[in-house]
Amino acid sequence: MSVKPIGVLQFPGSNCDHDVFKAIQRVHKKVRMLWHRDHLQIEDYAGFVVPGGFSYGDYLRSGALAAMSPAAKDLMEANKKNYPILGICNGFQVLCELKLLPGALLKNESLRFIDQWVHLKITNANKTWVKTEKTHLQLPIAHGQGRYYCSEETLKSLQDSRQIWLQYEENPNGSVMNIAGITNKDGNVCGLMPHPERATADWMGGTDGLCFF
Amino acid sequence: MGYASSDLDQQLKKYKITHKEYEIILQLLGREPKDLEWPIFSALWSEHCSYKSSRFYLKKLFNKSDRVLEAFGENAGVIDLGEGEKVAFKMESHNHPSFIEPYQGAATGVGGIVRDILTMGARPVALANFLCFGEPSRMHKHVDGVVRGIGDYGNCVGIPMITGRTEFDSTFNDNVLVNALCVGLFGKNDPIVSSKARGTGNYVVYVGAKTGRDGVHGARMASESFNAADADKRPNIQIGDPFYEKLLIESFLEASKKQLFVAGQDMGAAGLISSSFEMASKGQVGMTLDLDLVPLRDENMTPEEILVSESQERMLVVCEPKKFSELQNLFDRWDLDAVMIGEVIEERKIKILVKGKVVVSIDPDILVENAPQFERPYESSLKTKKVIPKIQNLTESLSTLEASSKEWIYRQYDQRVGTQTVYDCHEEIGVLRLPSERFLGVALGGRARWMAEDPNKGGFNALFEPALQLILKGIEPLAATDCLNFGNPERPEIMGQFVEALEGMNSVAQTLSIPIISGNVSFYNETNRQNIIPMPTVGVVGLGHLKKLPSSFFSQEGETLWLLETKSSPLDFLKQIDQWIREHQPSYTRLVTKQGLSLAISRSVTKNIGAQITTTVNPWEESLYQVLVSLPPTITLKTTENIQCTSIGKLQSGPLTFEQETLDYSQIKKLRQQAWRQHFYGLS
Repeated sequence: MSVKPIGVLQFPGSNCDHDVFKAIQRVHKKVRMLWHRDHLQIEDYAGFVVPGGFSYGDYLRSGALAAMSPAAKDLMEANKKNYPILGICNGFQVLCELKLLPGALLKNESLRFIDQWVHLKITNANKTWVKTEKTHLQLPIAHGQGRYYCSEETLKSLQDSRQIWLQYEENPNGSVMNIAGITNKDGNVCGLMPHPERATADWMGGTDGLCFF
Repeated sequence: MGYASSDLDQQLKKYKITHKEYEIILQLLGREPKDLEWPIFSALWSEHCSYKSSRFYLKKLFNKSDRVLEAFGENAGVIDLGEGEKVAFKMESHNHPSFIEPYQGAATGVGGIVRDILTMGARPVALANFLCFGEPSRMHKHVDGVVRGIGDYGNCVGIPMITGRTEFDSTFNDNVLVNALCVGLFGKNDPIVSSKARGTGNYVVYVGAKTGRDGVHGARMASESFNAADADKRPNIQIGDPFYEKLLIESFLEASKKQLFVAGQDMGAAGLISSSFEMASKGQVGMTLDLDLVPLRDENMTPEEILVSESQERMLVVCEPKKFSELQNLFDRWDLDAVMIGEVIEERKIKILVKGKVVVSIDPDILVENAPQFERPYESSLKTKKVIPKIQNLTESLSTLEASSKEWIYRQYDQRVGTQTVYDCHEEIGVLRLPSERFLGVALGGRARWMAEDPNKGGFNALFEPALQLILKGIEPLAATDCLNFGNPERPEIMGQFVEALEGMNSVAQTLSIPIISGNVSFYNETNRQNIIPMPTVGVVGLGHLKKLPSSFFSQEGETLWLLETKSSPLDFLKQIDQWIREHQPSYTRLVTKQGLSLAISRSVTKNIGAQITTTVNPWEESLYQVLVSLPPTITLKTTENIQCTSIGKLQSGPLTFEQETLDYSQIKKLRQQAWRQHFYGLS
């Protein structure tokens, strides 16, 4: 039986869709683009990635409008069936808007966009998306709204159920507890602000992103 | 019926048309202009659209090579890279709007240059920017707004910023410069989109965002000097929406790939007027335009406002009737309007319709081809020596504005979206990796200090320096684009600066065979009679020939550091260096620029590798031209008649030891960041 492809959701304003597409191809996996207006044929896919960018121009709130699209709504179904779902940067924001992940992403503490490489600690060795024995990674970030925020209660539950996935070694944006990425309770839905697709070749400055795809 | 002279004067003043130009209009039309013809002449004959003061000189620029596929005829230049790859690129200014309203001015500057590249049918893949500000204490609002504007627009449309330059000079206090460069890559076998309208009966289709009142008469504004009352000019500023631009990029490229249109043009300066007249004139056809069909944001706009609006994110395409519904469906998929507003006609006339009546019927060539052209009088330019503060030691040299870290600026730009970036804004040049796995380099040139001192030397340097920067990274310079930022061309001494700077630049273009294939001219950078120093900025694009790019940062412990200095001709110096780089493939190369050797060396220090330096050269002051290279100790470079070669030290693990001072990487970084903060303390 042939291996099923990974589906990459495409919204108006997504701008990392092709980068994620190329990154998945780079590790020789099958991949297909999925248009926001179409419903997903969930069973045809091995998992789904919501890429970064400025879906719907970040109108209203980052990720808010994308979360209303037919394709995004179908992600809820996919989650019920325990499909792996990964949200990167703006995709992370979309997953929070869909309540597939708890909390929200606010404007960076500096109120400015930040582009830089960051050092990350893998807090929880979730193997749904990251297949590596490494405990530390270097990946680039590029966001204006990446400050992870949640209530104290949620934070406690994140800690108790080991949902904190990635943490910054040096906090660039004011995130609660240096959080760079989290998972849902079951571990099938993961979201992170850094861009693994931008660290998939030596000439890019690093290859730590390869293990995500 | 004629105008009473006072009425005429008023009309000419309103539309910024001179008496001399009015005479030409009378001659061309055989009558007086009427109604909407006034704003049409005003817009298309503005300096901004017609290049009336510069065309004569621009024609002299060297612009040919085997690789040039398009130079100056279209919205951007295009060069052939071989292996089925070609790139379009251009640099453009958005100075006046960025001074009045820094955020929107800079943002729409990016939007405009991106559409110039898109119009060619190329996917915009890289941005670069050249900014000139006045004294820091007066510039917080401008630095903040311009950087945010560029960042918010470029980050959202998803085009990486790969390199940039920032200059400071007090003549920019009331007239900042914002020059943006964009590079676009064509898909394999993708055609270059033409702006020549053709095919009688074909539809003229408006695509993109709706038309509003913003940017009305923007082109005219960009063609005047400033005075104190310029807050009034805020309504002339365009408002950008990068989200619409992103949709336009995707839909336009998809439609271009499917060949759903035969011609396309951005609605840039002077909006609908310039796009329609230029497309018709270039295509040797006529066109009808029904203003009642133009999608509007505000239904109460007058025909004149619709014609001259510079609302952003709009384009005009010409499409065969049988492909129109497919084109419409495609744009609809991206939530954009695609509306037929006219037809291509055989008669060489632009016919503008309002409420079913033809209100303008005029030959497009009268406005485009027959636009006035001046050979303005000029005299030898003013030369001013800039006072360079004396520097005594390393700590001092790292604490100046020139040496300050510009990380605060470029950290706000997405430098990696597109996953093609090899060298980002940390490096001396920007480098992308092409689908063919070859390196495409982009370097910027133009230095306030040399421009002020001698426009000819400055013009020479503006092109020579980026060419040398590319050579130092094993990249062959292939072609250039320029933004010619000058003061008021009606002043002979300013025209003199223009002529001399262009001569300097052109001599490099000719000798090194680097054709100048696109760009723009920004005159009237004059506020309250204060003219900016002449400031041509240049972008050079080149193709890599080494497997591994030399870095501008030390990496190989134990290597010898060489200082190479020009002895006679800079052009021969460059050629010799090119040959050595091909031969020795060094791990480290860097051009010595501002503040001389000491700063260049300090900036090369990394966390792990520093250097031990002893030199007899004055390390605090720049001299043209000096280059640093590190090579294994087994290689010795010999001084020739063109190059003075001196070994000045050794790379070592640990800090930099320079004369009696020792500083490590984190100290250097800290000093340079502090230097920035000291000048821009108000900005978080």
